[in-house]
Amino acid sequence: MQPVSDISEVYEAIQRAKIHATAFQTNLFPMQGKLRSWISHGELFCEVHDGWALFFRKDRDFFHLYFCAANENTLRASLQGCLRSQRFSVDIVGTEAAVGSIVSVFKSVGFRPYARLRRMVLLVEDGSKKLNALANGIGFACLSDCDALGDLLSRSFDRLAEQLPTDYELTAAVEAQQILVFKREETVGGLLFFETQGLTSTIRYWLISEGFRNQGLGAKLMRAFLSTHPSARRFVLWVIDDNTDAIDKYQHYGFASDGLIDQVLLN
Amino acid sequence: MQQLTNILKEIRPEFDFSSSSDFISDGMLDSFDITMLVAAIDKNYGISIDGVEIVPENFRNFETIQNLLRKHGVNT
Repeated sequence: MQPVSDISEVYEAIQRAKIHATAFQTNLFPMQGKLRSWISHGELFCEVHDGWALFFRKDRDFFHLYFCAANENTLRASLQGCLRSQRFSVDIVGTEAAVGSIVSVFKSVGFRPYARLRRMVLLVEDGSKKLNALANGIGFACLSDCDALGDLLSRSFDRLAEQLPTDYELTAAVEAQQILVFKREETVGGLLFFETQGLTSTIRYWLISEGFRNQGLGAKLMRAFLSTHPSARRFVLWVIDDNTDAIDKYQHYGFASDGLIDQVLLN
Repeated sequence: MQQLTNILKEIRPEFDFSSSSDFISDGMLDSFDITMLVAAIDKNYGISIDGVEIVPENFRNFETIQNLLRKHGVNT
């Protein structure tokens, strides 16, 4: 496992995997900004051979595993040799029909299914919403909230399955006004963390802390979020597949599964 | 051009790609969509887009995608 020091190494590695491809397989969907950030923070490592490349992103006490392989056989071969000493989490994203064979490859080398997420999408008509003032107690998080936000997120979500933000990502999100919070007497009682790119906005986390539940605060946060995005046409989120309470809530707001799943496996 | 429009429509039917000059900044294509687009282009045009070419710059709009296709010998 070698550290990646430049983004060009990633593209060259993909090329080495792709050059002999008969049925190219990957779970690496690189956006340059993210890759650069991982590299600059020393989080990204790789192992590259002709026909396959594995990338490892350090996250707390484990690594996220990304692969590029010429076909399923080279993927299996690449995994057999190098996954003994560390804990790895891998996300296989696609339609139900598409992920099955890749999941089988991972199972054959000792990975086990850990969690499954489904993507839900809300499409809205252009101009159907108006920008409203934020409700009482709701506003954008500030830097002094970061510790409380990090604590809430790590207590409420699964670090192995739900891509929790690092401290630097949390700080950047606060600075970019991507986190709405409900606060009472300076205590953060709930949050909605989103990322918006043009017409699409992704809800990364939405939660209400214990002690603040059953007061309609989640709905207030969701309404505040939607009202701050009058031009968005598409809202997207990932939710754990058996979290029926959350799925019911999202469906209440008009979200529906779009058929994409994320099967998370651990070694 | 029509073939490319159809491919994009298949990936993200809710968007009117003809109204955008930057599919990425406008939030019409995300990183996962780009990977699906590359696979669809490879299959539909019988080419293999290189790993080093799978960068957002090549998928920003019709013109950049057509330039990429031309580079691979596709007559657009």
